[in-house]
This record gives sequence, C-alpha cells and structure tokens, in this order.
Amino acid sequence: MLVTDTAPPAALPTGLRLWLRQGENLLLCSILVALMVLPLLEAFLRKAFASGIPGATTLVQHCTLLIGMLGGALAARDSRLLAMSALPTILPPKWKVFAALFSGTAATTITLFLTVAGIEFVKTERASGNFLVGTMPIWWVQTVTPIGFALVTWRLLWNASPKWWGRAVVFVASGVLVWFIRDCGTENGELTRAMAFDGTALLLPILTVALLRVEPTDSGARLRILWGSLGLTLLLVALGSHLPTEPTKLVWPAIAALLVATVLGAPIFVTLGGAAMILFWGEDLPIASIPLDHYRLVTNATLPTIPLFTLAGYLLAEGGASKRLVGVFQALFGSFRGGPAIVTALVCTFFTSFTGASGVTILAMGGLLMPVMLAARYSERNALGLLTGSGALGLLFPPSLPLILYAIIAGSKVQAAGVTIEKMFLAGLLPGLLLVALTAWWGVSRGPKDAGDRPKFSGATARATMWEAKWELAVPFVALGALFGGIATPVEAAAVTALYVFITTVFIHRDLKLTTDIPRVLTECGLLVGGVLMILGVALGLTNYLVDAQIPDKAVTWVTGTIHSKWVFLLVLNVLLLLVGCFMDTFSAIVVVVPLLVPLGSAYGIDPLHLGIIFLANMELGLLAPTVGINIFLASYRFKKPVMEVSRAVLPMQGVLIIGVLLITYFPPLTTWLPGWLGR
Amino acid sequence: APVKIRLATLAPKDSSPHKSLQQMGEAWKKSTGDQVQLTLFTDGTMGGEADMVRRMRIGQIQAAMLTAPGLSQIEDSVGGLQLLPMMFRSLDEFDYVFEKLRPGLEKKFRDKGFEILCWGDLGWVRLFSKQPAHRIDDYRKMKVFVWSGDSRSADVMRALRVNPVPAEQTDVLPGLQTGLFDMVPSVPIYALAGQFFGPASHMLEINWVPLVGATIVSKKSWDATPADKRAALQQAAAEAGKQIRNRGRAESDEATAAMVKRGLKVTQPTPDDLADWVRFTDEAYPKIRGKLIPAEMFDEVSKLVKEYRAKAGK
Ligand code: NA
Ligand code: NA
Repeated sequence: MLVTDTAPPAALPTGLRLWLRQGENLLLCSILVALMVLPLLEAFLRKAFASGIPGATTLVQHCTLLIGMLGGALAARDSRLLAMSALPTILPPKWKVFAALFSGTAATTITLFLTVAGIEFVKTERASGNFLVGTMPIWWVQTVTPIGFALVTWRLLWNASPKWWGRAVVFVASGVLVWFIRDCGTENGELTRAMAFDGTALLLPILTVALLRVEPTDSGARLRILWGSLGLTLLLVALGSHLPTEPTKLVWPAIAALLVATVLGAPIFVTLGGAAMILFWGEDLPIASIPLDHYRLVTNATLPTIPLFTLAGYLLAEGGASKRLVGVFQALFGSFRGGPAIVTALVCTFFTSFTGASGVTILAMGGLLMPVMLAARYSERNALGLLTGSGALGLLFPPSLPLILYAIIAGSKVQAAGVTIEKMFLAGLLPGLLLVALTAWWGVSRGPKDAGDRPKFSGATARATMWEAKWELAVPFVALGALFGGIATPVEAAAVTALYVFITTVFIHRDLKLTTDIPRVLTECGLLVGGVLMILGVALGLTNYLVDAQIPDKAVTWVTGTIHSKWVFLLVLNVLLLLVGCFMDTFSAIVVVVPLLVPLGSAYGIDPLHLGIIFLANMELGLLAPTVGINIFLASYRFKKPVMEVSRAVLPMQGVLIIGVLLITYFPPLTTWLPGWLGR
Repeated sequence: APVKIRLATLAPKDSSPHKSLQQMGEAWKKSTGDQVQLTLFTDGTMGGEADMVRRMRIGQIQAAMLTAPGLSQIEDSVGGLQLLPMMFRSLDEFDYVFEKLRPGLEKKFRDKGFEILCWGDLGWVRLFSKQPAHRIDDYRKMKVFVWSGDSRSADVMRALRVNPVPAEQTDVLPGLQTGLFDMVPSVPIYALAGQFFGPASHMLEINWVPLVGATIVSKKSWDATPADKRAALQQAAAEAGKQIRNRGRAESDEATAAMVKRGLKVTQPTPDDLADWVRFTDEAYPKIRGKLIPAEMFDEVSKLVKEYRAKAGK
C-alpha cells in the first residue's frame, strides 16, 4: 500500500471553501472523539449504575461507518486515497497527464456507480423500517454511504486534472461510459452504444476547437491536442461499432481496462470495488450488495478497535514518544556490539504494532534512526536494509491491526469459530519475537566488531531515560492489561489506550497542543483510517462475489483433490501468500483471501491461529519483495534512494525473514503453545 | 427461463439441515422438470441473519433459513414468541399453540413480501452460566448476555429483575472469558458451535423458550415459479421442514451430550425450582404483555396454552 503523501501540497483555498474544509475536518475530529469517549462512558455507567447507555454498542459501530465515509471523502479531497501502483510518480510529465486522465475516468465512473448502488441500498433499508436506536430509523445514518461515495466521485473528477479542459475530458468520458453501461443488456443497448460513442466522437472536434481557444498554449501543445483529439475520435467510433453490449461479454474487457487504470494510479478501493461491481454486473446480480457488504464490515462490533489503536499510534508518533523510546533502547542496548541494530528493530516493532502500517513507521522513524545507525559505522546499505525490513516486524505484536482484522474475518467462519482477538495476540507473540531476534542477530553480525566509539553502559543513564519515557513504556501494559484483565471488551480496551496516550501526550508531556496539534493529528488519523476502511468495505464486496460464485467450495475440492500432504500444502501456501503479499496490501488481502484460506486450512487440519500467523508472516515478506513491495517504495521515497538500490539492500533481511517464516510454518507449537496455555 | 432460487443459511455444510435443504432442491428440480433451481449458501458465508434479510431485500438472494432474530427483521410477531420465558412446558404444548398461530403468522409475512416455505425450531433455549445456578435468585447476581440488536429481550430480563448486558453475538465468547457476562441463554447447538460452554460450563436444563426458525422465500421469486407446480414445491418444503425440526430437536440433545463429554455440568431443576421459576415469570408477564408484545398475541397464546392443558388433562 503506497501512502500517497508525495502529492504536492495544493494551495489552501480561501473564503467559503476554506470554511467548508475546516468544517469537514472538525466533523471528522468530533466523531473520532465520540468514538473514543462513548465506549468508556458506557463501561463506566455499566459498572457504576449497572445500566449503560441504551444502544451504545450500535452507536459506536455506526461512528465507524461515519469515520470511514467522511475520512474517505477527505482522503479523496486531498488526493491521498491509497493507490497500488507507484508508476505515475516515475512517468515523464506528458504521460503523467494521460495516466491521470485515464485512471481518473475509470475511478470517476466506478465511484459514480458505487454512489448509485449506495442509494439503492439505502432505499431498501428505508422500506424495511428498522430502527437504529429508539425511534431513529437506521437508514438516516446509512445515507452517509451514498453521500460519501458522491463526494469521492466529485473529488476524483476534480483532482483528475488541475485544468478545466482535463476535467471536461474526464467528465465527458465517464458520462459516456455510465450512459452506455446503464443500458447494457437491455433492448436499446445497441442503440445507446452507438449514440453514446459516436455522438461523443462528433462532439469532440467542437470541444477541441473550444480548447484550443481557451487554453493558452504554444504550437507544439496545440498539435498534441489535435492529435489527441483525432485519436480519441477514432477510438470512440471504433468502440461505437465493435463493443459488445451483453454484460457477460463485457466483463473481461472491463476488468482489463480496470487493471490498466490501476497500473496508471487509480486508488486501491476503485480497483477492488470496481472488480466486484463488474463481476456482479456480469452475473446480472444487484450491485447494491457492495454497499451492503461495506456496511456489514464497517459496522462490525469489533472494528472500532482499528481507528482507536491507530489514533493511539498516531498520537505517539506525532508526540515526542519516538525520541524518548530511542533514548531508552539506546541506553539499554547501545553498548552492545550491534546495539543500534537492536534499537532499530525494537523501536520499529513498537510503532508498527500500534498502527499495523509498517510504511508509516519507515516514514516516521527513518529520519531518527538512520543517523544512529550511520554514527555506529554501519554501511549505508546495511542501515537501509535493516530500517526497511524492521518496519514490517510489528505486524505480529499486539495490538497490531492485521491481527485484529484476521480475528474478525476468520472468527466469523465456522471453521475458525474459536479465533478471538485475545488468542491472536497470544499466537503472534513468540513468532514475532523470533523474527525480531533473527533481524537483530543479522543486524548485530553486520555491525563493526571493535568496541571503538561504542558508548559504555551506564545504569544511571538507563534509569533516567526509562523514567523519562515511563508513560510510553506503560502503553502496552495499559492496552493488554485492560484486555486480559477481565475488565473491558476489545473496543473498550482500545478506547482506554487511545485516551491514555491522549492524556499523556497532551497534558503530561505537553508534546501536542490541544487547540492546534490535536485537530491536525485527529484529521490525519481519520483520513488514513477512512481510506483504509473504504478499501476494506469494498474488498468484502469482492469476497462476497467469490462466495456467491462458490469459489471457496470449488477451491477446497480442487486443492484437496490435488495436494494430499499437509506439509506440501503448507509449502504451496507460503509461495502463494508471498505472491499475494507482493501485489495486495495487508488489509485487503486479509478481507479477500482469508475467507478462501480458512476452509482450506481446516481441510488439512491446520489450526486457524497457526494459519493466521503464517498468513501475516508472509505478508511481512511481501512488503519487502524486491521492486514491488510497498516498503521498498516508501524507503526509496524516504531516504531518496533508487528502488533497485533499496531492493538490493533488503535482500539479506529477506533471507533472514524467509528462515523465520519457514520455522513458523513447520513448527506449529511456536504459534499454538502460548494461546493454548494462557488463552481462555 | 428457469427460476433460480439462492438460499442462505447459517447451518454448516453437510449438517442435517443442509442435507434436508439439498433434498428439497432435488425434489423441486424433479417435480418442475428443472424449472426451479436451488443454490445453497451454507456456513453463514452470506453473513449473519440480518445480512441475509438485507440481501433478500436487494435481490442478491431469494431465500433464507432464519431463526427468530432474523425473522424479526421482517415481522415482529415471531419475535414475540421468544419473549415469553417458561410459557410452554413441553415441545408438544408449543407445537399445539404454534399450529393455531401459524396461518396468521404466514399471512403477516406474505403481506411483507415473503412466503414461508416451512417452519422449524432448534429446541429449547437453556441457561449457560459460569457459576452453578438453579433458581432465579442465583441469576440475579449475574450479568446476562442479550443480543444488542434486540432491545426487547433486554427488557424481558429487566422485567425478571435480571441484569442484561447488550452485546454482539461475536462478543459472547470473549465476553464470557473476560467477565463481561456470566450467563448466556442459548440453544445447546449454538453453545457447542460457538464453544462458549468452555467458560460457561454450567447448564440449567430448563425449558426457557423454544428457538423458532423458518425457511422463507421472497414473494417475487415464489410468484415466478410455475403456478401448477407450487403445491408440489410446498409439499417438498414441508417435508424438509419436518426433517429439520425432528433432527434439530434430536441434535439439541446430542449437542448437550457432546458438551458433557467435554466438561459441561448439567443441572436438572427440581419441581420446587420449577415452581419458583414459574412464580417469578408469572409475576413478570404483566410487564411484557401489551408493552413488549401485543396484548392480543399474549392473550391468544395464554388461551391456547390453557386449552392444550385442559385437553391433555393436566
Ligand atoms: Na471470534
Ligand atoms: Na465466531
């Protein structure tokens, strides 16, 4: 998953648009605060007065829906929707414009259909007459789904080009597509196709003349506009006479076009949602099932843990916690041979375990840790490899979001009914420690052998730095204590953690100012979570298509018929998951692939906890895959090194982690022993 | 074109309800010459019961096998039957009352756009708790799970002066483990499948309420089937329903036996215990009648129960 904060910061709007923007941010912040406070208030009232707030659980779940849609709309506004491909960033300017127009057209068309699907969904919900709490109809809140998708559509169109002519091209092109697709499979499909494509082709010369007059251009640019216009006209005429009009025949051309748009930079949620929509449409099934599944996922009772732990992670990263923690680990391990490598592995693990987004760790910690490594006379290449690799290590440690999401998705399958968040947390611990130990071992072996300028260990310094960072060091104990102490549900534990970090950063350390920094950090967190939830929601729509086409059943039949040994299956599984990890982001991979894997794993008698840890360990590897792994791109961006150089630097880390993954795979007790012993 | 009916259920693949539904599909295929095709989605792969109802409404699936919580999403009156603890002494008594209520209930569903193919039940809801308990006073010291989607169940618990904690079904197991609840009312099949008999290892074998279920199909699809074959379709559905009900009740006992093998302790209420329960539930009924379920429905059920007991000479 590429964090597209490489986009140049657009000039802030003024006047009314500035007010709208600030209002939108403030609304998102308020809902995040409500999400943090509501579960705690309800837990408190329940304990103090034995009666909570009526419908509190339901309200909290719908807060997540609001954050998801609003955050997604904000991400679209700021061109920060997560994209799968980094290709557009390295294209020459001319091609960049074309890529933006093409992917913009695809994205606008698909989100427009998602909006329509959302409206259909809300309409049926309205007719059902069910209530959210008290006498408040549930559809009132659900309208946020089409509203959010509509805002995203508008913003994708707006951001497809900084120029009016570019927006006009995207508007016309996606208008034609919508008009044509709507009539596909109906009696007047043929006619609509001809009218839509040929009509637009006729309009193009007029548009071109208008463009040449409006846009101030040199003669070369004019020539390009003319050639482009001619090409587009011919293409449209060809489409107008040759495109089939039956949905079933259009499925694969449409998917191909979608993939091209993805490579050219369309957001991930457009790819997944678009694929789901095209496939449902080809089978003549209602596309309203996509917003339905989106709703089902984002209102899951345990899902509010994701924005809450992310908030805790963001507050920690934005405050002074990172510096204090580096200080602690330096004081403790700095005097050992390879101490800085251990420090890097531990600090990166700590931060990724909160956000689950290893890329954020590289961006946030890279600047702090790189100088530490270089000062300890690590080669630049080894330092780069270690930092890039360490970013992924936190995935297996509580309260990492992928662990939570796996528990939610797998736990809803009968074959893995006993999988809970608590058990996944315990299951990940030893395998996680193994990977950290292997990484640290490699780091130590690369370190300079002579004691040289290594600092001496000082008990007083260690104590002082630990005292300085006591509030941060206590965070895991707060989170896990609340969860395992028998006082809180997972959502309440997450809310306590977020509130604890909030209080320590704002009121105790005063790292962040309540009036200026906090709204910024809250908006940033809501935006990231919104972008992720939008992906997860439509990914579940795609999963539902697979279920609908009975692919999990077919897969079980086929695989169990082909592979007879559990150990061979595990090897094949590792290879497949490595590929999945290279091309899909961790979160959508869990939503789409885990429902396929759980029945398979069960057929081979693999413990669902073990399966989950194998899955996530492979995702860690995928993040580092040479030239395609997302962490490679992020490190390349953060440290300003070519992708090839980062890929080479990470290779030894890859080898070390592969050994770890094989140990995890073929020695199940590493995973299952702890939850079996402590898991209740 | 053949009518395609896609049916979703929470029942696991190859379980007895799944097999009964498969047989129904075969019978439909045979009697209509392949004009009605049934596709089954098992294991809750189409989501929970509320999701299945939503999918029927948008037209992604046409049929579903649901229990009371799902059926209540369409029509409240079935839910009413789940709000009367200790109203029925035996399943025979319940069957008698239900047979009389059935035509009225089916009409209500038809008016909402759904045809009932067959009814069934999963046997009695029992009380699973962490501590041993046999009287209502024991349970009044506990926190009791109720599904957050069903506020009326919480009100029934309050009427009994028992402390309800509303939560999602997925929270049952972790909630029991972390002490959020001490007791969960459940049918044995769910307690076994959801593994919550582990922490809640005591079961009071009391006839709390029967968990009612039904297989329904959208009226739109039903009306698309060949009119002259509908009687045969209905006949095959009724046969499947009978099988599911009989197997469901038997499996309820089998599930209990399986859990006992793995450490569940079953408490049999004594006649004195039962008298105590009946006294307190009778006391709570006025707070339920007319407030949580329509007064006419409550009166009708009470009347039929009396009628049955008079006939049975009890
Ligand atoms: Na679970
Ligand atoms: Na579960």
